[in-house]
Amino acid sequence: MRLADWTEIGRMDELGRMDSPVHRLDPRAKVLVSLVFIVLVMSFPRYEISALVPFLFYPVGLIALARIPMRHIMKKMLIAAPFALLIGLVNPLFDRQPMCSVGPLELSGGWVSFISILFRFVLTVSAALALVAGTGMYRLGAGLERLGLPRVFAMQLLFLYRYLFVISDEAARIMRGVRLRSVGSGALGLRVYGSLVGQLLLRSMDRADRIYQAMVARGFDGEIRLLQQSVPGWCDAVFAGCSLILLGAARVWNLSDLLGIWLAGGVS
Amino acid sequence: MHMADALLSPAVGGTLWAVSGGLIAFCARKVKQTMQDHLVPLMGVMGAFVFAGQMINFSIPGTGSSGHLCGGLMLAILLGPWAAFLVIASILTIQSLFFADGGVLALGCNIFNMGFLPVFVAYPLYKLITKGRHGSPLAWAASIVSAVIGLVLGAFGVVLETTASGISELPFGSFVLVMLPIHLAIGLVEGLATATVVSFVFRARPEILQAEPEAGIRIRPILVGLAVAALVIGGAFSWFASTHPDGLEWSVVRVSGSEEVAGSNAEIHQHLAGFQRKVAFLPDYGFKAGEAEEEACDAWPSVSAGATVSGLVGGSLTLGLVVLTGLALRLRPVRQAK
Amino acid sequence: MSIPAVAVYDLSYAYPDGTEALRGITFTVEPGLAVALVGANGAGKSTLLQHLNGGLFNARQGEVRIGETVVSRKSVSLVRHAVGMVFQDSDDQLFMPTVAEDVAFGPLNAGLSSEEVERRVESALERVGMTQVRERPPYRLSAGEKRAVAIASVLAMEPEVLVMDEPSANLDPRARRRLIELLRSFGHTRIIATHDLELAVEVCSRVIVLDEGRVVADGPMVGILNDEALMEEHGLERPHILRHMHPHT
Ligand SMILES: Nc1ncnc2c1ncn2[C@@H]1O[C@H](COP(=O)(O)OP(=O)(O)O)[C@@H](O)[C@H]1O
Ligand SMILES: [Mg+2]
Repeated sequence: MRLADWTEIGRMDELGRMDSPVHRLDPRAKVLVSLVFIVLVMSFPRYEISALVPFLFYPVGLIALARIPMRHIMKKMLIAAPFALLIGLVNPLFDRQPMCSVGPLELSGGWVSFISILFRFVLTVSAALALVAGTGMYRLGAGLERLGLPRVFAMQLLFLYRYLFVISDEAARIMRGVRLRSVGSGALGLRVYGSLVGQLLLRSMDRADRIYQAMVARGFDGEIRLLQQSVPGWCDAVFAGCSLILLGAARVWNLSDLLGIWLAGGVS
Repeated sequence: MHMADALLSPAVGGTLWAVSGGLIAFCARKVKQTMQDHLVPLMGVMGAFVFAGQMINFSIPGTGSSGHLCGGLMLAILLGPWAAFLVIASILTIQSLFFADGGVLALGCNIFNMGFLPVFVAYPLYKLITKGRHGSPLAWAASIVSAVIGLVLGAFGVVLETTASGISELPFGSFVLVMLPIHLAIGLVEGLATATVVSFVFRARPEILQAEPEAGIRIRPILVGLAVAALVIGGAFSWFASTHPDGLEWSVVRVSGSEEVAGSNAEIHQHLAGFQRKVAFLPDYGFKAGEAEEEACDAWPSVSAGATVSGLVGGSLTLGLVVLTGLALRLRPVRQAK
Repeated sequence: MSIPAVAVYDLSYAYPDGTEALRGITFTVEPGLAVALVGANGAGKSTLLQHLNGGLFNARQGEVRIGETVVSRKSVSLVRHAVGMVFQDSDDQLFMPTVAEDVAFGPLNAGLSSEEVERRVESALERVGMTQVRERPPYRLSAGEKRAVAIASVLAMEPEVLVMDEPSANLDPRARRRLIELLRSFGHTRIIATHDLELAVEVCSRVIVLDEGRVVADGPMVGILNDEALMEEHGLERPHILRHMHPHT
């Protein structure tokens, strides 16, 4: 976790608190559609590319409607890419069966499946990022809880999110103190490391204790209650219904192919 | 190492989602049952601590590089297994949602690999060895051994899940050969970091570690859980194996006349494959994806050039449409945010 | 004479590690009065405040009464609704994901209807002038806003007694000024632990000086704070502001 990562979380958090048609949708509708989207995308055979293209409409639509800067999502995808890229790049090495040719260029099965892996990566990652940036962690957590996520889990997830910045500020303070007193690189000897992280740990536990005191002082009895959330409206139903139908259609029919065939038929 | 969506088939991802989801529900009930109200804020703050603690690095003795705490074993030592599992699951959830580390479909796998294995396999081992003597040389050894075992098992999980999904072409054996040494090293670092921090805490505030988080875990339910998980996963595996007995490997050999196709790279492949035949307990079994793919495989050679071209043209056009739609949606007048 | 809003009789308390934080504290506070609790670090102020809110009652000696209620294991939830506690670090107190959820936390625990909860959230936020940050997450607020919201989260429980631990710590001058005005405007019984003697002078009419877990002085603000010998003996400093306020200096 580097400092840049923290600003990233902050940025996502800001995006999640904006106001847009996407943000106003019920989180449960968005979660449901996004899950279906991801499963459908992953369910394609591994040499599929063209049928995946229409699926781009979903994340791109969400991102555009939610006014999330496309650049931001792209940057995050680039950072997350290496592992999928690395494993995917092995495919062209092992699978050299020629599969299709584009003009003079002959593509092996490995390259096709590699491109397909990249495509899936772009689709699923952008959909997940769009979901978070277009919903916000709090609404997402509350929505998941209403979808049946165990309450204890949902609540400590929200606590984790709430205290991320507080604890990381403390960690940053500790590190500043160390840097002021030491010369050379940031990496520490094991002994110093143990006492710094240990101190951070003890402070965190003390804080948890004070938070618990504060909760008890306001009548906490083991059950955390949230404010009444809005009920899903027809907007949410329309969004979920249309998205699911369109996604289903794109899974059943290769829409790109159909478009190509239709165009070719029209021309000839 | 985070398992990634792009390498995962829905069946494998779904199976592990179900396993991890069940574990979350189970652990949540356990935490609720212990009626330790203070645990919920403590869990949240400890999750934040693990995130924040990763800002602090130490130089790994004998190498030029530096490492930090991942925290799985540490959380189990401090919070007990049930709560620790939930905290790790939420850390991974945040990572997948905010950093696209892994991804949503792969979250189940990641929770299993990095939550279940360290907490319910490595931690009991740690407890068994240390018997509460934190800070002793024995505890150092225990923490290193169990961290290594937890991480190596996790890496093994990644390999199994990837292979079972059949999206990646990477042979099982060579994947294992790549992953295991890396995770052996990461495990060493993790064990060292955990032991250092735990012994600091033990010296400063021994009562934190002495207060056993809960009655302790009984080994039997965990073994039962492991067995069930193994059965479920094994079942999923054998289902794949049976729907797809030979996989692509065979067809590649048949179609391309095998070894001659590839030049120098094939040598590596052969080498690795040979080694793997000696090492791996599973032969290089092409657990490839489901039926849909089988059709596609069979269909491919007979696909006419026209279909490929239409796919290409249609695909590019669709892509263009996507871009246009995105731009159009964005050009709407900005409504003032509140 | 009316029943005191808060009454403490011979209260002693030692932490589990053996630290004797309170040694025989006795005082009463009349309803509607504002009392400052001053004393050097470690004098026992925070520990005392926790007792008033129904904390730490396990290992204590002596008696604490809130109105007619004796604080005990049975009455503790009643006491927690009657005494609102504002903690020293607002980050500890604002633990919910949004300001509105945080202010609603107490009323929801009290089992109020959702309309009543909504009314209380709205009026508490209005009282402290923070309606505009309603949907914001607490960590996005300034220190002054955090403090105001923390006070709102306590006001929403409509307590009779407000107990505050160093409310002006970490505030910039303007936020501190607004806090003072806010505290002056309340009609609740207020017990405020503070190092900020100027705030104490402006808000409170009476002061209790603690040292090493004992009450060493208790009386009208101006008289005690002007007693330079007493103040110095207990690690305090006579506030500057009094030099202009008191005719005999
Ligand atoms: N949780 C605790 N465990 C043990 N001792 C404590 C604890 N909290 C406070 N103390 C001790 O109790 C005494 C009173 O502390 P406190 O009430 O916080 O003082 P103040 O708020 O006036 O600075 C101090 O000596 C302090 O060290
Ligand atoms: Mg104090």
